[in-house]
Parts: sequence; structure tokens; C-alpha cells
Amino acid sequence: MKLEVRNVSKSYGGRLVLREINLTVEEREFICILGHSGCGKSTLLNMIAGYIPPDSGDIIVDGRPVTGPSRSRGMVFQDHALFPWLTVLNNIAFGPRVQKVPRQQAKQMAREYLKLVGLEAYESHYPAELSGGMKQRVGIARALAGQPDILLMDEPFGALDILTRESMQAELRRICEKLKPTVLFVTHSISEAVYLADRVVIMKHGIIADVFEVNLSHPRSPHAPQFGEAMARIERVLMDDERAGADGAAEDALYAVKAGSA
Amino acid sequence: MNRSDAAADLSRVQSSPVRGKSGVQGRPGASRFTLYNMTFLPSILFFVLWELLARANAALKWFNPRFLPPPTQLIEEGWKLAQTGIILDSIVSSTTRIVTGFIIGCAAALIAGVLIAKFRAVEFWFSPVLNLVGPIPALALLPLFIIWFGIGEFPKILLIAWTTFIPVLVYTLDGFKSVPSTLIRSALSLGATGRQVFIRVMLPAAIPNFLVGAQVSLGLSFSALIVSEMMGASSGLGYIIVDARNFFKMTNMFIAIILIGLEYSLFSWLLRLVEKKALAWRKDGLRDAVQR
Repeated sequence: MKLEVRNVSKSYGGRLVLREINLTVEEREFICILGHSGCGKSTLLNMIAGYIPPDSGDIIVDGRPVTGPSRSRGMVFQDHALFPWLTVLNNIAFGPRVQKVPRQQAKQMAREYLKLVGLEAYESHYPAELSGGMKQRVGIARALAGQPDILLMDEPFGALDILTRESMQAELRRICEKLKPTVLFVTHSISEAVYLADRVVIMKHGIIADVFEVNLSHPRSPHAPQFGEAMARIERVLMDDERAGADGAAEDALYAVKAGSA
Repeated sequence: MNRSDAAADLSRVQSSPVRGKSGVQGRPGASRFTLYNMTFLPSILFFVLWELLARANAALKWFNPRFLPPPTQLIEEGWKLAQTGIILDSIVSSTTRIVTGFIIGCAAALIAGVLIAKFRAVEFWFSPVLNLVGPIPALALLPLFIIWFGIGEFPKILLIAWTTFIPVLVYTLDGFKSVPSTLIRSALSLGATGRQVFIRVMLPAAIPNFLVGAQVSLGLSFSALIVSEMMGASSGLGYIIVDARNFFKMTNMFIAIILIGLEYSLFSWLLRLVEKKALAWRKDGLRDAVQR
């Protein structure tokens, strides 16, 4: 599995949201796309998912251009988007079922993924009966059960409280160690990106501002000095104003002001 | 809370009113025997008051006692009428009409809704026409239907079906249009085809709206039933009312009115039962918002 984004641009109502984006995701890589809201990161993810077409450029999965949504690119949404009329088990079995897997086998598959996210006891519950974190676990299990080549995650933990969020991040890492999927994860949290990703792609004003390799072994501790260093580096890129970037002195001054006010 | 419940249980088991009132119980809402558990009470009170008013009127002659017969007399006359078989016949023919018309109307609305939601061409050609004829009160069409189709069963069932059709269609279409896009997107990303998205996502997502439409149009369907039986029918509850008016049989009129009310309540209850079964997954509403 290899995903390539080549010179992709997109504009809405005359405003350029994405400008000449180039990005390659290798097999089994975990990439975080990090940026402020409105930087175009969700638009990019939605285009990779095939929900919206790019204005120009190509998105290529395994040598073939993306023309629409398909099961090769599974999606986890921030609002989890579970089917409220299906039980937890049937939600997870949805992917296998529409892919023509026989009913019993699909349920068996669903049970395995349910076990993976630790919700075996809730298989006959409806989504409305679950907490936010549990719903998102089901969302992840459902996306994985669809057997995607790449897992796209659009701020999946954005609506969760901080404690749940941290346990979900650990949970996701654990699942990744086990299944080694290819993941493209959109977030606006620097610590989340550093905790989860092999590579962090920083987006600003519709362009990729920088790409960081995070060379820390898992499980990563947010208290380790290298973790803090990585966060600080990313923060510097993220917080810098573009105009200040032209002038090193101004950049430093601006950073000092921002750090002071923070 | 639990302890006071237990205390209430105890008082019930021992059936000792003294103990029940002995102050061990918490607030009255905690006990099992509350005023609000007796849902039948207001209806009984209504009939008791009616009876008293009618009897008082019979004695004091405020107005012609025939205008408002007491419920006991209605039961008496109703029993006599039932023995002639007229009541059963009327109920059977009215029920047949409403069930047939209502089901045809709902089914047609669902099918039309699916076609309009799925095919752009259908929407283009039919929506404006429906917007044109939809707001016309269906009852205005009855004389036309009678002229076209005679006074048999067909125009009546057609009228009921048409009355049911429009609101159910409007609600169902609204349901199709308000399916969250993330649900459709996740289905597509799980490998669902357009057809599967429609059957497995759009339809179940629109069912709640469809049922609301059915509930709303049930009242209208009953109006259509009664009016169609009042014009050119020889059986049914509506016919009893017209017949009673023509021959000034006030008790018959009241009996028919009460039977219509009962039948409507029965159908409404059945529909709510279906709704409860079909929407077991839903958890909302005021009751769930603030539990007491």
C-alpha cells in the first residue's frame, strides 16, 4: 500500500484552501497531519477518502487514481458516525456485510474487532447507550473491520474529554502495534501528534509547512525530554507567522512575544 | 430513594394503610401508588361528570334532555343497537376502509418517497405537481371522486389513501434529506454500493420520520373516513351519524361518535406500539433528559 498525493489544489468560493500539496504515505506508516482549524487538513483527508474531488493534481493509491470512496480507505469520523439503529456488533459487521461476507462469518469478524477494542460486553448495545470514548472505539473497530488498506482518521478524539482522550491515544497505539495498519491521522493537538505518529506533517494556510520524523520508541512518555523537544520544535513552526519567517530576527522576536503571552 | 421504595413495598405487601401513612415513606413520588399512575382516572371522571350533568339536566330541564343523553342511557341503547348487528357491521366496514386506505396511502408514500429521493428525474417532474395538489384539502375532492367512481368502496378508500399519502410523503422526504452525510460517507468507505447505501442507511434513517408522518396523518385519515361515509354510504360509523341526524336519534349519534373515538385511540396506540418496536434504539425526549 502506498498513497501518493501529487500537486493537489482545492479552492472554495475563490479562496485557495489547499495549494500544491505533495505527500507520500508508505506502507505501515503512521502519519499525523497537524494544523490549526481551517488550514485545509480535513479537506485533504476528505479528498483522499474520495468524498470530494481535487481541483487539480492527483491522489494515487497503489498506482491507481482515487475517483471516489472505496473500502480501501477506511474512515473514522470525529462524530463517530455510527449507525444508531444497529447494535454495536452489527455496526462493526456492516463493512464485511456490504462486502458480501456471509452473515455468521461477518459477525465472527466483528466479534474479533470488538475484542480488540475491549468492548465484548457491549455487543448488543445501541450506540446511544455508550459513552463518547466507547462510541469512538466502536468507530475504530468498524473502520478496521472493513479491511481498509489505509485508515483515515479525522480528529477522532477531538470531541472527547482530556482523560478519555489520553486513554484512547494509548489504545490506538496498542492497536497499531498489533495490526500495523497504515494510518493518516488529522489532529490539531501537538502532543497527540508527537505521541502517535512516525511522521508529523504540519499544515499552514493550505500548504505543508514542514515534516518532522519522530524518532522515539513506543510507548512514548510525554514526560521524556525528547518528547518535549519534539513538541517545542513543532510548536515553533506552527506558531510562526509566515511573514516573520522571511526575517530571522523578526521570527525570533515574534516567537518570544508569543511565548511570553502564552 | 431505594429505602423509601422498599418501605413503600413493605406497606403494600402488608396492606396496612396505617403503616403506609406512618411517615416512614419519603416524598409521595417515591411510592408506587401515586395519582399519576392512575391514567384511567381522568377518563372516568369525565364520564361521571357527564352523567351527573345529563341527570341534572333531565331533572331541571335547562335544555332539551334529548340533546345530551347520559352515558348509562347510551350503554343501554348501545346494547340494544348492538343486538341488531348494526354496530358490528358498521365497525367492520369502517375498519376495513381505514385499514385498507391507510396502508395503501403509507405504502404509496414510502414508494414515492424512495423514487423521488433516488431519481432526480422523478423529483423534477413530480415535486411541483405534488406541491400544487398537496395543499388542497382532500375532503374537497370527495364529491369529484364520487362523480368519477360512484358511491362504492373505491372512492372512499381512495380518499383515505390520498389523505394519508401527502403528509407521510412530506415527512418521509424530509427524513431522506436529513440523513447525516457522515453516515453515508462511512457506509461508502466501508465498501457499500449506492444501492446498499440506500437500503442499509437511507431507509432506516428515514423510518422515524415516516412513522411521525403516519401518526400525523392518522387523524386526517379518520376525518376522511367519516366524511366519506357521511356522503353516499350505507354502512359505517359515519353513516350512523348521518342516519341519526336524519331521524333525530341522538343516542345513536353519540354511540357512533364514541366508537369513532375508541377506534382512533386503538389505531393510534397500535401505531405507537409499532413505533416503539421499530425505534427501540432511540434514546431521547424529555423523559430521558431529566430522570426523576
